Amino acid sequence: MGLASAPLNLDPRYATDATSERINRLLYQRLVEFDTQSMPVPGIADWQRLTPRHYRFYLSDNVNRFTDGHRLEADDVIATYQHVLDPDNASPRRASLTLIESITKVDQTTVDFHLFRTDPLFPAYLTLDILPMGLLNKAHNFARQPVGSGPFTFYAWPESGKLILERRRDHQLIELLEVKNPTVRALKLLRGEIDMLQNDLSPELIGYLQSQTGINLQRRHGSNFTYLGFNLQDPDTGDPRVRRAIAHAIDRQAIIDQVMHGAARQAETLFPPEHWASSGDLTTYTYDPATSRVLLSEAGYDAGNPLHLVYKTSSDPYRIRLATIIQSQLKTVGIEVDLRSYDWGTFFGDIKRGNFQLYSLSWVGIRTPDVFRYIFASDSLPPMGANRGRYSSPSVDRLLLQAEAAGALQQQARLYRQIQQQIHYDLPYVPLWYEDQVSALGARVSGYKLMMDGNYDGLERVSIHHPEDSQHAQTAAAY
Amino acid sequence: MGDFLISRLLSALVVILGTVCLVFMLIHLVPGDPVDVMLGESARPSDRQALRVSLGLDQSIAIQLSHYLKGIAVLDLGTSLHTKQPVTELLASRIPATLQLAFAALFCALSIAIPLGILAAVNRSGSWDWGAMGFSMLGVSIPNFWLGPMLILCFSLWLGWTPVSGREGLSSLILPAVTLGSSFAAILARMVRSSLLEVMGEDFVRTARAKGLDESRVIWHHAMRNAWLPVITLLGLQLGALLGGAIVTEVVFDWPGIGSLMIESIQKRDYPVVQGCVLFISLSYVLVNTLTDIVYGLIDPRISDGTDR
Repeated sequence: MGLASAPLNLDPRYATDATSERINRLLYQRLVEFDTQSMPVPGIADWQRLTPRHYRFYLSDNVNRFTDGHRLEADDVIATYQHVLDPDNASPRRASLTLIESITKVDQTTVDFHLFRTDPLFPAYLTLDILPMGLLNKAHNFARQPVGSGPFTFYAWPESGKLILERRRDHQLIELLEVKNPTVRALKLLRGEIDMLQNDLSPELIGYLQSQTGINLQRRHGSNFTYLGFNLQDPDTGDPRVRRAIAHAIDRQAIIDQVMHGAARQAETLFPPEHWASSGDLTTYTYDPATSRVLLSEAGYDAGNPLHLVYKTSSDPYRIRLATIIQSQLKTVGIEVDLRSYDWGTFFGDIKRGNFQLYSLSWVGIRTPDVFRYIFASDSLPPMGANRGRYSSPSVDRLLLQAEAAGALQQQARLYRQIQQQIHYDLPYVPLWYEDQVSALGARVSGYKLMMDGNYDGLERVSIHHPEDSQHAQTAAAY
Repeated sequence: MGDFLISRLLSALVVILGTVCLVFMLIHLVPGDPVDVMLGESARPSDRQALRVSLGLDQSIAIQLSHYLKGIAVLDLGTSLHTKQPVTELLASRIPATLQLAFAALFCALSIAIPLGILAAVNRSGSWDWGAMGFSMLGVSIPNFWLGPMLILCFSLWLGWTPVSGREGLSSLILPAVTLGSSFAAILARMVRSSLLEVMGEDFVRTARAKGLDESRVIWHHAMRNAWLPVITLLGLQLGALLGGAIVTEVVFDWPGIGSLMIESIQKRDYPVVQGCVLFISLSYVLVNTLTDIVYGLIDPRISDGTDR
């Protein structure tokens, strides 16, 4: 399988890059998983809410053993979570777990979690991959030599760009190979040097692969949300009329159809419509240049006094291309956009410091609606959160507090929908689209299921057809 | 020669030390924080501070630099902030690929450039000259990020002669070496031509011809020997650049060299790895330039003797 970037760290306590997290899902198991609506469902454990601040988790009988041979038990769960919760260990996973007051063992298959405060979403936070306690205590180097209980086991990592995993049920080896250049990745697939690749392809390459015989292209709706962000403390983009004018000036469907070749769907809010907390009844900011011009005029801008904005983006060529098209669309309503692209560290540093007017980014892998607090609460300014646009709304803050205190998920869902409506009206972001997930499979591959969030779980069921297999089958049939 | 070497090595040491200090300070001034990259935005300030302390990033740049320089003295370049691997281990895993590609590209460039440059000079304004200079123009103009995929399309996909990318066996070295070597060959061929043309007009060449020596002997033994100096200067500079990592070629062909390691590390603000790469690159430049100076001395003893030409 060709990857755009190699994994950096296979220790789930410290992995932060998407590739490592996706591979770790294959190597380890976790207490809780998500269904297609992003509702938490049992992973290796089912749970019971004994009181609003006390949850009991029961490990399933058919949990895999760790690859070092011993059975995954309550001690391993507790050791993993306690390690992450220890501030001295500086795990990036700690922030989402700080509501845990204590973890206690009931028996070898039962663990109790006691919370500082009530949160009906609590099980959804328990997605940490479980590590074996014995090796944790020995400070084992999981980053380079992972030992987990997942469907795959670590086989070899001969060089940074090549990782080999072994599927436990049938010992099938799967090599994950870094091929940074998307064109080269596609050419390797065509030549049979790799059997499959997933995402990080330009629309032209997707079209090219689709036209090739022997390549099976899969597509499905994705949940990664791309948006155009505003700095609300800026005199220009702080004006809601300007933000609405920009929203009406962008023809999202044309970009999706013409540039992305239909490989996306328009977004209205952070969560796609199938998400349990998504607000499906938001009014679309339709493409309407006339309305846009009127709004700009009301805000005091016209041909003699055009609006000038600086739009920052990363140095990714595809992102720059999309930004250039948005720049061109905004020009048609009289907004002059100065496009600036920076390397990731500089770009992200500027965004966090509020040193921008406009920027575009994507939220990847978001599952739980507590993210609204992280992104939109007025006390979540960086570095305390990701309210990069300095959005401040007393009504949203109040609704966030109510949602957190809500006793049931249904009640939370209702409140989070109200929050989305308010945010949609205030428009700190112009929601752009959810990009589709795409995979391209060579002729030997079958049974691969593409996942909505782009993870590699489909490798559990993938089959590789070897030409000699069919020869053997034919020979057997002849006898 | 001994004094000459000692003075070169001492100046090399100063250059390396200066480069390491300068880059250490510059990279800390670049916007972007490794703690942000590692912990994400959701981390609490206390967790950020804990990580900052554990990485030693809470100390002043001067103290961090002094620790780093002490580490260099015992060949400890620190550990990667992201992969937690020792930087020396990371560099060691990439250096063989870098050396292999650099010398293969150099070999490729020399094999093309020297005969082409000589043919162009000897047949000045003739068809060889026009052909060679046309090749040179193309070689300089075509960017590697275009040439690489085109070569892959032709030799890997259509003809099936070489692998598309990766570093597996000698066949995988051919396309990256040609891609990298072609632009180098183009520049070098022009230099060989112009340098040889200049020397061919000198009195000693006319004398050699008057003595009745055949043309090939005049060119190889008399003209080329004197035309080497500017060519070697260029060779030294280019080899230094090749050892510093051919980033575009490495990315196109997934060649696991120093260049791509450095770019990845800069993007992640992995300071120790960036420093390690810079140290290797500056060492390479200094080593190659010192070797160039020594070769100068061998070709023209007046240089190492310090006498005027």
